[in-house]
Amino acid sequence: MRPIGLRARVSAAFALGALILSACVSLVSYESVRNTLFAERERTAVRATYYDATVVDAGIAGPAPDVLEVLRSLDTGTDRYVLLHLDGRWHSRSADLAVDTAVPPGLQEMTASGEAGAQRIRRDGRPALIVGVPLAGEAVFYEIVSLGELDRTLRTLALVLTAVAIMVAAAGAAVGWYVTRHALRPVTAVAEAARGIAGGDLTTRLDPATEPDLAPLSAAFNDMADQLARRLERDRRFAADVSHELRSPLQTLEAAASVLDRRRDQLDDRAGAAVTLVTAEITRFQALVNDLLELARTDQPAHREPVDVVALAERVCRSRELPADLVETVPGTASAWSVDRRRVEQALGNLIDNAVRYGGGPVAVRIGPGYLEVDDAGPGVAETDRATIFDRFVRGPASHARGDGDGTGLGLAIVAGHAAAHGGDAGVTERPGGGARFRITLPGAGT
Amino acid sequence: MSAVLLIEDDDRIRLSLAMALEDEGYTAHAVATAEEGLTAQRRYRADTVLIDLMLPGMDGYECIRQMRRDDDVPIVVVSARDDTHDIVAALEAGADDYVVKPVKVKELAARLRALRRRGRSAGQPLPGTSVQTFGDLEVRPEAGEVRLGGEPVPVTRTEFRLLCELADHPGLVLSRQQLLQRVWGHEFGDERVVDVHVGRLRQKIERETGSPRHLVTVRGLGYKLQP
Repeated sequence: MRPIGLRARVSAAFALGALILSACVSLVSYESVRNTLFAERERTAVRATYYDATVVDAGIAGPAPDVLEVLRSLDTGTDRYVLLHLDGRWHSRSADLAVDTAVPPGLQEMTASGEAGAQRIRRDGRPALIVGVPLAGEAVFYEIVSLGELDRTLRTLALVLTAVAIMVAAAGAAVGWYVTRHALRPVTAVAEAARGIAGGDLTTRLDPATEPDLAPLSAAFNDMADQLARRLERDRRFAADVSHELRSPLQTLEAAASVLDRRRDQLDDRAGAAVTLVTAEITRFQALVNDLLELARTDQPAHREPVDVVALAERVCRSRELPADLVETVPGTASAWSVDRRRVEQALGNLIDNAVRYGGGPVAVRIGPGYLEVDDAGPGVAETDRATIFDRFVRGPASHARGDGDGTGLGLAIVAGHAAAHGGDAGVTERPGGGARFRITLPGAGT
Repeated sequence: MSAVLLIEDDDRIRLSLAMALEDEGYTAHAVATAEEGLTAQRRYRADTVLIDLMLPGMDGYECIRQMRRDDDVPIVVVSARDDTHDIVAALEAGADDYVVKPVKVKELAARLRALRRRGRSAGQPLPGTSVQTFGDLEVRPEAGEVRLGGEPVPVTRTEFRLLCELADHPGLVLSRQQLLQRVWGHEFGDERVVDVHVGRLRQKIERETGSPRHLVTVRGLGYKLQP
């Protein structure tokens, strides 16, 4: 599982905090508003009931009173119902018979004992308040007041408060996101600087003054960058020194051997054979030194520039006395790539040399979007060797069969190094129809 | 017979290279230091100079710069260093070509021949070509001179050849490889040689080197000369 990022966590914490806070505030305000409103409503209802009770009381005082007429004379509006319990019978204004069962037994007992009372009930699933007032004799007058409107008001209030709580939580998350963006800006700067260094710009440094709190980080980063630059410079100088030390004697050997070679006809057969050997070995030694130095430098960043890769591939073929029409371009491939010209040229050249040496010569040099391929129709590369073939000093079996074209064993390692410097890689597969297909990918070439 | 001045501090290389060059038909005058090289060149006026970069005392770069002040002799660097910095610095100092040790004597001889072939230049007219005008820039192959706003511009032989090659194809893009082949005689060479020479030329023929008007780069393709 992917770990949750710092920003997400901080934002979530902000959101949660804001949510809890706003929920508490909402809850408290909701409760207090509800209580106030209910109390107010209750007071009004009780007052109205008492008023009506006195009217009813007076109306039923006489003998054989018309109870229904008395009840009908009350001005109750639409949200109040009246009930009268008189001489063990229930009276109401309408034929609404269910109302008598609506009076809770507790309230009935209470009023029977001569006390007035009020209770909240649910009537037809809606909240209501029932107020009971004992009248003279055994009669009890009840009024049921619908609280539906109050309920609707409270519901709206709850909805509004919930919406506010959610909005506050979202605002909290936004604040968290914003705050962390600022807090993490120095880290982003470090990441960018690191990317710059990885991309080859060794002069990238952080300014410790811009973020005093993170000065130790900046200082450590800069120190690391300094050391890296020093180390690379040391390596570069070492490679340069080694090249100088190895190449100078090789130059003497080369020039001296050419002097000997010119006088071959003055030499006897044995001396001539020795000169041939020396000349061949000088050539091989020279190739080895060049490849070793190249390999030592493959980890240096690629120096990208616009390159016409098709022209480059054709040139590489011609330089090896191969027909330029070996080069095929996959339709839809741009010809101008942003790559390190010298290194792509060398990588492609090495692949072609490899095909010549071990695969009987290339049969196609293919340029596709972001990759180069060299096909040969030789014996191919065994599956088990495909991973190791790009290692240093690994040679194919054919190299022993052909003495003159002996490679240094570094060619493919250099190819892999150049591909890696471009952020790509090198691989070999089977060519359909037999043989090997070597491919290097060069991401970011802008194709 | 063509004379070569060889400035090389390594005794063994100097000796063997001088012998090998003589086998190739050159008269080789070999010295061990830059100072001796400058004196020798003033005295003998060799046709071409071969110079190592790492020399005791004055280094190769400085020697090239000093020699360039009053001499447009083709200078070929023969160095064990193949770092881009070194190559570019040597070319910018005024060298015409650069080979990395160990160089095959036959290849070195071929490069020297190419240099001599393009040796006809500033002051040595090229036959069969007429004056080319690119705005305020005038290339006069016949007279072997370049004028900017009517004033003659001092260019080396190689720079002149490069300019003539571009002037022969006004407005057409020539790739670095084409230029290498036509001007330096390299079949497959290091394109940095072209880039540095173009840079050197721009300093002489462009009023604003940063945004060249005449000698422009066509990204990914090469260079062209335009009014």
